[in-house]
Amino acid sequence: MAVLQSKQDALQARIAALSFAPQGWLGAARSDALARLTAMGLPGKRDEYWRYTDPTGLNAVEAASVNLFDPGDEPAPFSGVDRLKIVFVDGVFDASQSDALALEGVKIERLSDAAEADIHWASGLYGVLETRGQSPVQRPFAALNSAFAGDGLLIRVTQTPSKPISLIYQHKAMTSDVILHHCIKVESGAEVTILENGAAAARLNHVMEIEVADGARFHHIRAQGRAHTRQAVTHLFARIGRNAAFKSFTLTANGRLTRNDAVLELLGADSVAHVAGAALGDGDFHHDDTVFITHAAERCESRQVFKKVLKNGAIGVFQGKILVKQGAQKTDGYQISQALMLDGDSQFLAKPELEIYADDVKCSHGSTSGAIDETALFYLRSRGVPLRQAQSLLVLAFLAEAISEIEDDVISEDIRQRLQSWLARHEH
Amino acid sequence: MTDLDLEVRDGVDRETIETVHAMSGTYKYGWSTEIEMDYAPKGVSEDIVRLISSKNEEPEWMLEWRLTAYRRWVQMEEPHWAMLHYPKIDYQDQYYYAKPKSMAVKPKSLDEVDPKILATYKKLGIPLKEQLILAGVEGAETMGERKVAVDAVFDSVSVGTTFKAELAKAGVIFCSISEAIKEHPELVKKYIGSVVPQSDNFFATLNSAVFSDGSFVYIPPGTRCPMELSTYFRINAENTGQFERTLIIADKGSYVSYLEGCTAPKRDTNQLHAAVVELVILEDAEVKYSTVQNWYPGDENGLGGIYNFVTKRADCRGDRAKVMWTQVETGSAITWKYPSCILRGDDSQGEFYSIAIANNAQQADTGTKMVHLGKRTKSRIVSKGISAGRAQNTYRGLVSMHPKATDSRNYTQCDSLLIGDKCGAHTVPYIEVKNNSSRVEHEATTSKVDEDQLFYCRSRGMDEEEAVALVVNGFCKEVLQALPMEFAMEAQSLVAISLEGSVG
Amino acid sequence: MLEINNLHVKLEEEDKIILRGVNLKIGAGEVHAIMGPNGSGKSTLSYVLSGRDGYEVTEGSAKLEGAELLEMEPEARAAAGLFLAFQYPVEIPGVGNMTFLRTAVNAQRKARGEAEISAGDFLKLVREKAKALQIDAEMLKRPVNVGFSGGEKKRNEILQMAMLEPKMCILDETDSGLDVDAMKLVAEGVNALRGAGRSFLVITHYQRLLDHIKPDFVHIMAAGRIIKTGGPELALEVENNGYADLLAEGV
Repeated sequence: MAVLQSKQDALQARIAALSFAPQGWLGAARSDALARLTAMGLPGKRDEYWRYTDPTGLNAVEAASVNLFDPGDEPAPFSGVDRLKIVFVDGVFDASQSDALALEGVKIERLSDAAEADIHWASGLYGVLETRGQSPVQRPFAALNSAFAGDGLLIRVTQTPSKPISLIYQHKAMTSDVILHHCIKVESGAEVTILENGAAAARLNHVMEIEVADGARFHHIRAQGRAHTRQAVTHLFARIGRNAAFKSFTLTANGRLTRNDAVLELLGADSVAHVAGAALGDGDFHHDDTVFITHAAERCESRQVFKKVLKNGAIGVFQGKILVKQGAQKTDGYQISQALMLDGDSQFLAKPELEIYADDVKCSHGSTSGAIDETALFYLRSRGVPLRQAQSLLVLAFLAEAISEIEDDVISEDIRQRLQSWLARHEH
Repeated sequence: MTDLDLEVRDGVDRETIETVHAMSGTYKYGWSTEIEMDYAPKGVSEDIVRLISSKNEEPEWMLEWRLTAYRRWVQMEEPHWAMLHYPKIDYQDQYYYAKPKSMAVKPKSLDEVDPKILATYKKLGIPLKEQLILAGVEGAETMGERKVAVDAVFDSVSVGTTFKAELAKAGVIFCSISEAIKEHPELVKKYIGSVVPQSDNFFATLNSAVFSDGSFVYIPPGTRCPMELSTYFRINAENTGQFERTLIIADKGSYVSYLEGCTAPKRDTNQLHAAVVELVILEDAEVKYSTVQNWYPGDENGLGGIYNFVTKRADCRGDRAKVMWTQVETGSAITWKYPSCILRGDDSQGEFYSIAIANNAQQADTGTKMVHLGKRTKSRIVSKGISAGRAQNTYRGLVSMHPKATDSRNYTQCDSLLIGDKCGAHTVPYIEVKNNSSRVEHEATTSKVDEDQLFYCRSRGMDEEEAVALVVNGFCKEVLQALPMEFAMEAQSLVAISLEGSVG
Repeated sequence: MLEINNLHVKLEEEDKIILRGVNLKIGAGEVHAIMGPNGSGKSTLSYVLSGRDGYEVTEGSAKLEGAELLEMEPEARAAAGLFLAFQYPVEIPGVGNMTFLRTAVNAQRKARGEAEISAGDFLKLVREKAKALQIDAEMLKRPVNVGFSGGEKKRNEILQMAMLEPKMCILDETDSGLDVDAMKLVAEGVNALRGAGRSFLVITHYQRLLDHIKPDFVHIMAAGRIIKTGGPELALEVENNGYADLLAEGV
């Protein structure tokens, strides 16, 4: 369908100030992405895929200015984890704060450094998974990202490294508008953990394309920035081979607008894809988890576990889909989305979908929303646990299923601590 | 699973198997009646709308209402968000009005109705004589005798309504809507379009312009309708769309149970059916609305069959009003249908029980909307979808809790069963919760017919088709139990028949 | 220990009066039983004493060692030494049984100004007490009461009682849903906690639990009042003749 002129104008205005670098293999990929974007236009409020989240702030020509966030005495995420640190300041790689980009079994390059090469492994990935992810649902912000990404890393994992790779996104300018694009290829038999944390910018557009080869394992744990007024749209695109594993967990506490898309394709048999999230919002908070998992091979397992704790008018959105293609027999698909609403003004909006074209499958989804369980609260109090502690215990219990998706004990304890301190700060 | 084990041993369900044996062939109602018809010219236009209105001898306000709808409709676009794929419908290649010639002068009683038409209903097993019908085919001795009043709609017109006099004694009005427009204009004028507005959606708007007949029910305050009411729709004429409109008003503290059945002959071409049903339920009133939809589904290659686009909505306008939709959707090539509940009154309740079976090339996109507006409102959705052959079956639903609908509850259970690896089963629920004192629970599962259960049945001597029918009936049990007795029996055998040819 | 004076209670949401002037005095170390037909208000009494929402006290008082219970939050009542063994123990998915116990023990210690118990000591203590109640390590690891059988839930209640060492224990129909062996086990658990000035209020419909937990006093409750008080022989009277005669007397 032709894109309306008004939509075209809005798009041109949005991208006018962005710099376009057409050099090398990357330039070709950027040009293709721009063509995709032009054909789609930016999403509008009436688009079905943006039914519950208003994209206006993401479409705006300039990022709204935000206050820089002071975390107080809370230690930065993953502080206690031995990791390779790579720091971006307002979306630009900062060598001075980063460790040397050297880790056994891994090759890490900056996007700009690799762009001029004639042949590069990432040319088979950059924009490629994003393109696959444009059907059946259009994702204009991802195409915009591929066309105009300002920085990013190309990470090739050939053997299992000794420690996680930690991407730290510092936010220092009040109006920074950042587009980051990473490609990660986990070769056959290798295993890697990627950590991400920080607000990155006033407005962040983030894309990560991940290829998980046969027998490979990919872990991703992310703690999005706690700045109250930041806006972010992120996409994870993954292509998962045979007997492989993809696991991603996101903690989102605060943020005026967060839209996290995960588009995962299970292309080889006997693989698993897990994507989980815990979102905590108090007040001006709009959080949207949109997940699309395609089962295209036999005997794969997928899990979507999303928990949202909402108060003071916070809005939680979940759009999740399991698509089981014909022939993807013995699929095991599980999806749960739950909201705990701590007061009357909050909203939970969900669209948990199943689309199934194979008969020998086991798929289920569940969705619940409601207030804290008064009976359980009374039971705890009758055993002497004070009200606030009892509430906090029940909120953590509610989030437990999502946190248990993190395999590493040190990291999951780190996340649990952050949840607990958020709850302590946002007590009634 | 133990439930199903019991089900297998349960005596009741053996009847299903016997019924399957007894009814050979696939679609049982596919024959047509040779009858002389009076057609309006093909296509739809303002003139056709005027013609339908004048054929029904309608007052001016009704014509104006239709024309408003028509003018709106020509500006609307057919919706395509449902997971349904069908060739473009040529709305000008349909007859919008077909009336048996013998009905040119409306018969004063059923005795005057063309015997061919009466024979048609007799063949369909629908009692048009005012007789006691035996509740349930079997077990009549335990159930006692019951009466069911029938309004029979043949193509575009109502051919007659039974038990009118007896119902009138109780103050119940049960007649065709064309009659109601003439006899009870104040009621029709007040309520028509008040639940489904003229411009609600493309198909409802078309219906508002061209509806030819349908049923009208009014239950006065504090009255429990003395018998079940039912309407049987029969599409007979070729290339003819059927556009019926049903309006039921349950006044304060009243109760009625309403049944609806539909069949059509086998035809190679697709026929359009776009109905609107409006239920107005006032304080403390209760309506149960049960449908067995068995329009011709097309043949195994997808040739022919009814395109069924239906808008059904109940407005629980008063406090403590209750509505229960039960539907068994086995027919039609295309089903687009979402019987909904507007829970406006405080403490009002809505329930939706559905079985949707799609076999061969059938496509169904059906579900419900529960819109909670009042305080302490409750809703329950139980949907059982069965897909076989190359069919696509989608559950689509909305549960909406408005900020003021405090302390409300919804429970949704939505199960899909797949038989064979060429069909599809889809679930598209929308859940919108805007207050925290309400509790919403949604569960959905998709699975294949359990091999162990099939094996268990077959080891007891059933063939594969019987076994599947039995297991599917077990899967649907919760919904079947929500149907009135005589419908439950019919539905059970229908489940078996619609799945014929789905295995092996 | 516990002194209830002229307690009147109605449901908060409807005008239904449940307790119509209950008077009861339980001395330190005493075991009292309240028996009565269904709907007499027995369970309501236990909920009101422990501070559950949904009830409105219209008149009267309930004092634990002289302190007014009815004005306290549920957790304060627990810290003051009150313990209710629930008729239907609540399932809490996501909260481990051990976490639950440790949180409760430490919360009460903290409220009383005592130091928290060390993880090692706590573990040792739980294992020891659990063993006596035949609660295995697996049950301690599972979420609170989730997937427990009826008997397991009741034993878990007694384990909590043993860990929290309350002064005043209320057992609400602890025998319901238990077979004879499970009931014996629970009763042994309770009996082991008798003494040291600890008082009990055993609420039950049937006399059979009182064969195992011998009461000092038996009260008969009907229509929201205690209509008769006596010794253990009163329970036997109920067992033999039912409530009808007593109720007739009471009126």
